[in-house]
Amino acid sequence: MVTRTGTTPTAHSVSTKTVQKAARKEVWTGTRAVAEAVRIADVDVIAAYPIRPYTGIMNDLATMIANGEFQAEIIVADSEHSQFEIVKHASAVGARVFVGSSGVGATYAAEAIVVTGLSQLPVVGIIGCRALDDPGNFGMEWNDALMYRDVGWLVSWARDAQEALDMTLVAYRVSEDRRVLLPQFVAIDGATVTHIASSVEPPVENDVAEFLPRYELPYRLDPACGPVTKAQHIAPSLIGPEQRKVVDVAMKNAREVIREAWNDYARYVGREYAPFIEEHYMEDAEIAFVTMGAYSKDAVYAAKKLRSKGIRAGVLRIRYWRPFPSQELRKALEGVRAIGALDFSYSFGSADHAGAFFNELRSALYEMQSKPVLMDFMLVGGREPSLAHFMEAGRLLEDATKLGRSKKMVRWLTLRGDDV
Amino acid sequence: MTNTSAPFRSVKDIPAEEYYRSGHRTCAGCGPAIAYRLLTKVAGPNTVLLGPTGCMYVANGHQFLTSPYAVPWFHTQLGGGGAAGIGTAAAFRALMMKGKRRMEDINVVVYGGDGGFSDIGYSGLSMAMTYDYSRLVYVLYDNESYANTGIQASSATPWGATTTFTPSGKVRKLGNERSKKNVALTLAAHPGVKYVATSSLYPPLDFMNKVRRALEADGPAFIHVLTPCPKGWFFEPKETVDLSRLAVETGSWLLWEYDSGEFALTHRASPRKHAREYIRRQGRFSHLTDDEVETIDRMIEEEKKYWEESDRLKRLVLPWIRPPPRTSVVSH
Repeated sequence: MVTRTGTTPTAHSVSTKTVQKAARKEVWTGTRAVAEAVRIADVDVIAAYPIRPYTGIMNDLATMIANGEFQAEIIVADSEHSQFEIVKHASAVGARVFVGSSGVGATYAAEAIVVTGLSQLPVVGIIGCRALDDPGNFGMEWNDALMYRDVGWLVSWARDAQEALDMTLVAYRVSEDRRVLLPQFVAIDGATVTHIASSVEPPVENDVAEFLPRYELPYRLDPACGPVTKAQHIAPSLIGPEQRKVVDVAMKNAREVIREAWNDYARYVGREYAPFIEEHYMEDAEIAFVTMGAYSKDAVYAAKKLRSKGIRAGVLRIRYWRPFPSQELRKALEGVRAIGALDFSYSFGSADHAGAFFNELRSALYEMQSKPVLMDFMLVGGREPSLAHFMEAGRLLEDATKLGRSKKMVRWLTLRGDDV
Repeated sequence: MTNTSAPFRSVKDIPAEEYYRSGHRTCAGCGPAIAYRLLTKVAGPNTVLLGPTGCMYVANGHQFLTSPYAVPWFHTQLGGGGAAGIGTAAAFRALMMKGKRRMEDINVVVYGGDGGFSDIGYSGLSMAMTYDYSRLVYVLYDNESYANTGIQASSATPWGATTTFTPSGKVRKLGNERSKKNVALTLAAHPGVKYVATSSLYPPLDFMNKVRRALEADGPAFIHVLTPCPKGWFFEPKETVDLSRLAVETGSWLLWEYDSGEFALTHRASPRKHAREYIRRQGRFSHLTDDEVETIDRMIEEEKKYWEESDRLKRLVLPWIRPPPRTSVVSH
């Protein structure tokens, strides 16, 4: 879509454009691909604040807007806290919004992020995953995004630039659905997704217009909609539990809405994804890696190599961390003898001193009929794992199947020195 | 796009319609509630109100799910006032410019306390002053403490006042040892700012006319309104407006406006009453010695010269006054 500076495109002009570009291929980084999704979604208000590695999205959006490629208010905020407050309030007025952050930026905004979930505003944001300070570290860890696992945000994890684009579009569809009305973070691993260029097929805008209806928030904060009072202070005994239950139900509803949305996405845009978990070599797997994000590709490659050595390895990639796909995981892992989390998170002092990712997985798998051996392969601190690390994880899982238990449940795979 | 309305010249000009109504449970004699009522009368029905956490959040709702607001209202976090206004105004502008909503003037008013605007939300408020949304007005209702949490000092608490965080003790006797931050002055320093003013509940109509000017300023606008607090300042609820008057008549609170780069004192206390007439009416200053009250009066007198000079020049001159004597455990 080309819009000359000075003209005022309407929301409609996106969907009724008669001259459409044919399906095309681009070589884009994850950040560039997400910017394209935001443009196609005809977002109205964007709030930006810089922190690596997500920043490139905002750079690209600012350039698109400066060049008249689409129209939105882009606010350069004074902090991440303001950034998330800005989009929360714009969303309450009825604007479709976009926001994002990384690492300690996402933690600086914590208060604003929490209230956005609990006040049920369908903000869509990106977290470009990055290690938390101190010390400053450009490496990739998941703790920044995982911090928001409890407060009413949907959290999904993209594997590459293409999926980051698709998932961002689907995020608007799911979040804005009246059965849900919850915000969503699309997590994209720092460097491996944010900064690595790969082949991306941007969807055709007409197809997306059919897939993604206009944002219509009930009870907008607009004088035209009457005197709506929103988030008034309450007496806990009066509606405290009921308000929380509304959020709980919305999150439960999201499971069905997510399934519908990905079905529709395949129908309109033509790209198919399994909604909650993606399975590789799982039909006859004896051991399995469970992970999220970009390194799942390495895990699949490792599984293939392990299979060539006679070890029946499979991979499960989790696409939605919230709502967490417990049932799908239990079903897919039934009969697997040893399961290893490829875990880019920590949770110091947690149960068995394991990662946050692992403990969530373990808690979901407790209800399984078979009792597989569970191991946590921690890959924290931002040091990049190599194929050798994944192969070692595979061998340790294989050993566990023979022993019927693991010698050590939690292992820091990329650590140098003693794993005490 | 901005219409200029007639100023309020007498109480008869005040609209009868109420947009901040019954259904709140503020303290008897609450200054911020009085200002809220007046402000909403000026802004009228085509208004969105945003309320950072503070007295005007917590005391305006609570027990029975009541709402005093006859216009749209949304909470924002204690430090979120600046951003909330920008987000709301940006949404209206985007939706209107993109043809998704009918074009019209909508007032966005953020009503935040001194904690929300002089401390935790100061950065966001400063950001807001750098954007050019019209009909977006920030009003700081200043009761000179974090009052709804039980009267803790903010950076807008005056020198010598006791609060629960700055009590007058046996060794540290003074109470608050910091001087009050002049928020309006710092916001006037933002290059694009259109309208900055200070106000109080006295003289009558001063605040309403300033709200009117701010809404029509066509750019960043801020009003710092001193709103006495019976609970935090320790005076009888019936004296709220009297205290506003005394704050102005003693020069403890100066009324001015800075309109598109032009400064003017909007009210002169002449002859100025001695500070003690204001100070001695409030329990929060009851521990002060006569010497300390004299120090306050001396500081008012010194600062006044700068404001007079600003008024003469129609430009802001940065005031500087000799600080109060350094307080220490030894000297007290």
